[in-house]
Amino acid sequence: MTESIVNSKPFQWTARFLARFGLSGKGLVIAVPTLWLLVFFLIPFIVVLKISFAEAMIARPPYSKLVQGTESGFALNFSFLSYQYLVEDGLYLAAYGSSLRIAFFSTIFALLVGYPMAYFIARSSGRWRNILLMLVIMPFWTSFLLRVYAWIGILKGNGYINNLLMSIGIINEPLVMMQTDFAVYIGIVYTYLPFMILPLYANLVKLDGSLLEASSDLGARPFTTFLTVTLPLSLPGMLAGCMLVFIPVVGEFVIPALLGGPDTNMIGRVLWDEFFRNRDWPTASAVAIIMLLVLVLPIMLLQKAQDGQNRSETL
Amino acid sequence: MSAQTQLAADEKPWRRPGEKPFIRIKKLTKKFGDFIAVDDVSLDVFRSELFCLLGGSGSGKSTLLRMLAGFETPTSGTIEIDGQDMAGIPSHERPTNMMFQSYALFPHMSVEQNIAYGLKRDGVAKSEIADQVADMLGLVQMSNFGKRKPDQLSGGQRQRVALARSLIKRPKLLLLDEPLGALDKKLREETQFELIKIQESLGITFMVVTHDQEEAMTLATRIGVMNYGEIVQVGEPPEIYEYPNTRFVADFIGSVNMFEGRVKEDDKDFVRIESQEAGTEIYVGHGVSCSPDQKLWFAIRPEKLILNRKRPDGDSNILKGMVEDVAYMGNLSVFRIKLDSGKVVKATQSNRVRRDDEAISWDEEVYLTWDETAGVVLQS
Repeated sequence: MTESIVNSKPFQWTARFLARFGLSGKGLVIAVPTLWLLVFFLIPFIVVLKISFAEAMIARPPYSKLVQGTESGFALNFSFLSYQYLVEDGLYLAAYGSSLRIAFFSTIFALLVGYPMAYFIARSSGRWRNILLMLVIMPFWTSFLLRVYAWIGILKGNGYINNLLMSIGIINEPLVMMQTDFAVYIGIVYTYLPFMILPLYANLVKLDGSLLEASSDLGARPFTTFLTVTLPLSLPGMLAGCMLVFIPVVGEFVIPALLGGPDTNMIGRVLWDEFFRNRDWPTASAVAIIMLLVLVLPIMLLQKAQDGQNRSETL
Repeated sequence: MSAQTQLAADEKPWRRPGEKPFIRIKKLTKKFGDFIAVDDVSLDVFRSELFCLLGGSGSGKSTLLRMLAGFETPTSGTIEIDGQDMAGIPSHERPTNMMFQSYALFPHMSVEQNIAYGLKRDGVAKSEIADQVADMLGLVQMSNFGKRKPDQLSGGQRQRVALARSLIKRPKLLLLDEPLGALDKKLREETQFELIKIQESLGITFMVVTHDQEEAMTLATRIGVMNYGEIVQVGEPPEIYEYPNTRFVADFIGSVNMFEGRVKEDDKDFVRIESQEAGTEIYVGHGVSCSPDQKLWFAIRPEKLILNRKRPDGDSNILKGMVEDVAYMGNLSVFRIKLDSGKVVKATQSNRVRRDDEAISWDEEVYLTWDETAGVVLQS
């Protein structure tokens, strides 16, 4: 079929026309995403990088120019003030630390909750599998903000949990859950769970059932089979899921802002404050650049995990 | 050629009445919903046998094997291995090991780790495991590949690793699911004989599932032919080939010419069959339990037909036809001969000389004849 398309006259005319401008079909296909990444990722990144080396000032835009025209030509005005500021003020380091900590533990919790769910979905029969997958994806149908607000209603002092526990008589005073790290963890794990479950499911569903039978046949109890066969073979899926949760959670802004208290000091919130409250764009940009550098390692891990997934598919 | 010729007749346990079978399958049935995969199968297999379950796809042979391994629970019936009832015993506690059709090697483990897996589960000491793995690698001629991962091996090498892994625990019964199915023809033939050698040196009872009748003939001490979940015939390879008990078996094993006919004369020492399809009277030189005028089938293998340009003497067992096609296969030539009745008969002749200018060729009129005991009379 493809043969007949390639051999058709219009196809060959188009190809010849494009070739006149040095474009092959392959080049054209790659050009679209390349252009997209260039315009919407690389250029904004360079802009942010540029601002991070500027100085804050009351102006429009609120930062100094990097290249300034002088009488003898122009001068470069690089300032490392924002970066210096980040290192000197303990607030920023603490915020990075706490973001990484919260992201790390949320990832662990999401893995602990998500793995059994993904495993169960992958092992259930065809019809059930689709229903369960649908249930995992369904929260995306409503607004993320709305769902986080709903958690306020559940966790607050006179919310559902406290009302229930008090009506049964287990507690006399309402538990303080809102505006604590606990609420932030709940919100994050709840929100990011699908990102853990889906790559894990994609990995586990491909697991060759005959490997499990072979393990059992060679004398392994079901739990041993899980530890020696299922778990190691699902590592790429676990890694992918963990990184898909960890990377965005580090920069998460909305959940700590809505569910967290004043002590919840995450880098996303600091970033917001710098941009919109202090209008200190250079410092905010520096915060963003450093966050990117911090995330380079997990992003590389994610790449590796995806490579691993692809390799196991071709095997 | 085949393994059973190496045993003297009186050493064949299945020929000795009263011999205790090693594996005893009784009235075994497996249903998946309405579908009956294995239908009331009873079978005895003896110690150190290399038993082949032969059948087409969907004949239930794999399901039977999986019930022995403990991967499927029988709907009814019992399995006994070495006197022990297998009901309720999970696969990881059974004295069986299986070599999977897909080999099912653990992709994240090296060859050595794969082979050692079974022993590790039994808590065997590390040094002991290392020794046994080394022995096993030697046995399957893979000593230089211990550190490799399965994806760095060829199909034939993976097959050897899978065999080593399933043998290392010295199971009472080794189950092999299409063990040579993924290999190319040449490698398959070599491996067949190696498999027999290994089986004989270890004395482990083998149960092989295959759809390849040549493979079954070469490997097996006995063959069980399966069709629609039932075992239709059990016997030694020559018995299955020369004395099939149904048209299905005759047709499934090798190729065969089948003529429908009616009993014309039934005597203690011979039978005469009238067959319109054959266009001749068929004379069978031994007694057949049948009634006069009964409908039956006469089956004869292509290699047992003798080709002639001149009409042979006598008035029975002579077919006349036209050579429609000659296929030169190297070692033999296959003739397709169209009879006057329209039926096409296959006959083979071995090519004894390198070049035969007198050879029978296309569009020649030929006569076919056969020895009076060369064919089989089938009732169903």
